[in-house]
Amino acid sequence: MSTAVAGTAVAGAGDLGRKLARANRAKQVTAFALLAPALLLMLLAFVWPIGALLTNAVHAPEFRDAVPKLAAWMEGWDGEALPDEAGFALVAEEFGRAFRDRSLPRASTRLNYERGGMRSLAMKTGRGAPRLAAPYRESLVALDPAWGDIATWRAIANASTWLTPRFVLQALDLQRVPGGGIQAVPPENRVYLDRLQVTFTISIVVTLVCAAIGYPMAYVMAMAGPNRGRLLFLLVLLPFWISLLVRTAAWVVLLQKEGIVNGALLALGIIDEPQQLIFNRFGVYVAMVHILLPFLVLPLYSVMKSIPRDHVRAAASLGATPASAFVTVYFPQTVPGLGAGCLLVFILSIGFYITPALVGGSRDQMLSSLIAENALGTANWGLASALALVLLCCVAVVYPVFGRYAGAKNLRLG
Amino acid sequence: MTEPLVSFRHVEKTYDGRVNVVQALNLDIARGEFLTLLGPSGSGKTTTLMMLAGFEAPTAGEIFLAGRSLASVPAHKRSMGMVFQNYALFPHMTVAENLAYPLRRRGMAKGAIAEALGRAVEMVKLGGLEARYPAQLSGGQQQRVAVARALIFQPDLVLMDEPLGALDKNLREQMQLELKHLHAQLGTTVVYVTHDQSEALTMSDRVAVFHEGMVQQLDTPDAMYERPANSFVANFIGENNALPGKVEGRDGDFCRVRLETGELVRATAVNTAADGRTLVSIRPERLRLWADDGAEAANRIAAKVVETIYFGDHIRLHAMAGAVPLMLKLPLGTAGFAPGQAIALACAPGHCRALDPAPDAVA
Amino acid sequence: MASPRPYRGPADRIGGGLVRAVAALGFVFMLAPILAVMPLSFNGGSYLSYPLQGVSWQWYAAVFAARPWMPALWNSVTIGAATTVLATVTGTLAAYGLSYTEFPGKRAIGALLISPMVVPIVITALAVYLAFAPFGLVNSFTGLVLAHTVLAVPFVVITVTATLHGFDRTMVRAAASLGAPPLVAFATVTLPLTAPGILSGAVFAFVTSFDDVVVALFLAGPEQFTVPRRMFNALRDKLDPSIVALAVFLVTISIFLLATIELLRWRSERLRSRP
Repeated sequence: MSTAVAGTAVAGAGDLGRKLARANRAKQVTAFALLAPALLLMLLAFVWPIGALLTNAVHAPEFRDAVPKLAAWMEGWDGEALPDEAGFALVAEEFGRAFRDRSLPRASTRLNYERGGMRSLAMKTGRGAPRLAAPYRESLVALDPAWGDIATWRAIANASTWLTPRFVLQALDLQRVPGGGIQAVPPENRVYLDRLQVTFTISIVVTLVCAAIGYPMAYVMAMAGPNRGRLLFLLVLLPFWISLLVRTAAWVVLLQKEGIVNGALLALGIIDEPQQLIFNRFGVYVAMVHILLPFLVLPLYSVMKSIPRDHVRAAASLGATPASAFVTVYFPQTVPGLGAGCLLVFILSIGFYITPALVGGSRDQMLSSLIAENALGTANWGLASALALVLLCCVAVVYPVFGRYAGAKNLRLG
Repeated sequence: MTEPLVSFRHVEKTYDGRVNVVQALNLDIARGEFLTLLGPSGSGKTTTLMMLAGFEAPTAGEIFLAGRSLASVPAHKRSMGMVFQNYALFPHMTVAENLAYPLRRRGMAKGAIAEALGRAVEMVKLGGLEARYPAQLSGGQQQRVAVARALIFQPDLVLMDEPLGALDKNLREQMQLELKHLHAQLGTTVVYVTHDQSEALTMSDRVAVFHEGMVQQLDTPDAMYERPANSFVANFIGENNALPGKVEGRDGDFCRVRLETGELVRATAVNTAADGRTLVSIRPERLRLWADDGAEAANRIAAKVVETIYFGDHIRLHAMAGAVPLMLKLPLGTAGFAPGQAIALACAPGHCRALDPAPDAVA
Repeated sequence: MASPRPYRGPADRIGGGLVRAVAALGFVFMLAPILAVMPLSFNGGSYLSYPLQGVSWQWYAAVFAARPWMPALWNSVTIGAATTVLATVTGTLAAYGLSYTEFPGKRAIGALLISPMVVPIVITALAVYLAFAPFGLVNSFTGLVLAHTVLAVPFVVITVTATLHGFDRTMVRAAASLGAPPLVAFATVTLPLTAPGILSGAVFAFVTSFDDVVVALFLAGPEQFTVPRRMFNALRDKLDPSIVALAVFLVTISIFLLATIELLRWRSERLRSRP
């Protein structure tokens, strides 16, 4: 009734693999069917829009679409000297037509990004086109001397392509030099890199402050008994649930010149006159730390809660003082939670917009504000998209680190 | 044997496409028997049970229930009651709702459900606990609910996956008996998985010992213990003394084995290697002190005492035969051994079994 | 704590005290602004500062007057409700799909579903604006709901995945062994046992939509102005106590939602462990 002893068979591995794959396929089909609605939604309302945004950062065909013949002709221009009569003739013809079919305003906005003043020149030329006659070079220069300037033609050449690096360059405070090459803009004209620097400074300070306050908070929560720990947990969670605007409004009320904080400091004799506590960097730090602290405390707390108390006791029994037991045994085990929390806070603060907009001064606005300003204010979609691309790259650098070392798993929400 | 209720035919299972967890399994389960699948963890016994229940599909081969292939029968149509390792009682349902669950799935009328419920509750002595939630029951009570739930719809077959693993020792032994009586009373076929060999021996009609995806031996508990088919079974079931040696000759069912100590013993030839290497297996209670009455037709093995241990109902003697540790059980009152003292041990050739020299260590 | 503490040296006691002091400051910091501001909503005068000039309900009356807050509240609630339904259904199915079996690209899909949480909302809002504009979805209810759903799905996926993580799969096997076909097993066992996670995911989805300003800045026309969108304008404009009254009202709703989630959690924990 017995069978012989044999080792583990590894024979026919390929064959087994195929059978196994067939058995698993049905389950995988079910899994994909369950995922399909969410993926479809993500595709339509997230992936594709992000794609559109990235395209928008380098894709600017408005000018070329409006004056296709001129744009095609400009590709053959060497950029060294003013074009010949054929170029001038095309300008007169195409600008005139674009003016009549109303595509010129959008195209001239695009031109204007290349060189200031080009919008009015383009509109003027389009309007005046019917009165122009050969030789076009002379009549155009007569209409506006700018047509005799090679910089005008270079702007037209730059605007004639479908793809343009101009917005991305601008977002990084770079510019094209005539005749090719890229250089940084003069320091006094720098705008965007300064914003990027402010963005990072604020994010780093906020992350460090959150860690410095949040670590003791999580520690006290983890060390309290289960009931008290849960209560403190809810205390941290409560602001998490309160509208960001409500909390921002609360800080405005508290920190304003006539506010409670100034009143208390005056009454205590710490200050002689009300201090500016809001609509500056201080206000931004306070409001942002308040909003982001739970994101640091919660993952850290869940990691700390899982550390057996016996570890510190064991260290003590082996001769460690409480301080050295903490440093050598407890702290190293909390590093994953601390890392997760810090990265999360950092990633979230890079993208902050509303809070700095409401409690910061003009010098405390972050990259997100600039994006919103360019999109909602001046409708420069190309530049807004290019700035978004830069911001997205910053997040893309940090997110994988977060995913790898911390993961969304550490993110318990309640 | 009449037609088996369940038969496994050349069943194989792999999870990763490289290693077979179960290999070339052929196994028949008779109607009404209590069959235990016994083996260390990772031996393939649980996988075998899961394939029978329909939670895993064999990678190759087929399983038949009463002659019908189960290949295209999903788990919920197999009509096999199952008791899970941690009971898998539904925490959001009361005891009564848990018990009624399989009956409601079968569309049974309310009155019939109530009646069946009453019988089941009485059978496992759970009267008065019907309205409780599983979390409000003790471990033993949860176990009874799980058993009752697996039996209440009168399945063809009841599968139990280490059902007593979570209970403490006393409760476990009590539940072993209860399950055995329940089986005797109902006559249901039971397939029981455990890694506890004493549980397997006390409860089963037959035991199948699994190791590395293969059935090593399928036998009644006494045959399994008295006549292990190979060194793995001899080591895994009960306690074993294993003396390495080489076969020098055969006569009928017996063979002569030269032990590493140089002594020649006569043993039942079972399963020796082609080159003659063997492990002679002797159960501790079959090893005696040599009695100098001269009438012995027994093997004589010289050894040195290491220590004696008092066990309450017997005395255990540890000795060394050369480099091989030996253990034997002596009746109370046998005393007066000093460590290092030379002794002679005896064992009848019928109780010495020459098995394969398998290197498998056993946990 | 009531139990006597083991002996500690002076340095350790100072260190421990410092830790507790910082933590206490942190907890006060978290709660103080909300508590300190609340009484101002009952101010008789029109300044947001202490001392109160009498007590009055006038600012609440202003909030609950017909305009401008009530239409905004209605918009917030309907957009939030639609987002909740859409995000909860798709997010829950996705979480089930992710935990159902192993398949190639699982990690990438999981990361994609979570990513709207880490991509700055301004970027998402701008992207959705650019993509939706050609289809007339800007300044529309549909566009706002779709964008909010994208922001809410990660929260649903995370909470439901966490619940499924603690869900014992043998429950489904047990149901099958007792004769339940897969869909019945899902409806009678999986769904009731994961319901707390799904519900808390739904609450998160609602809050995500209800709290959003940025997407509304890009995608909402005056017809779709939500409460936060209106508050944003009001905060940039001029502070008056009616904003605080509104804030107190919203905080009350938040506390109610938090209590609901806490109750659900407590209930599911009670079911799972021995009392």
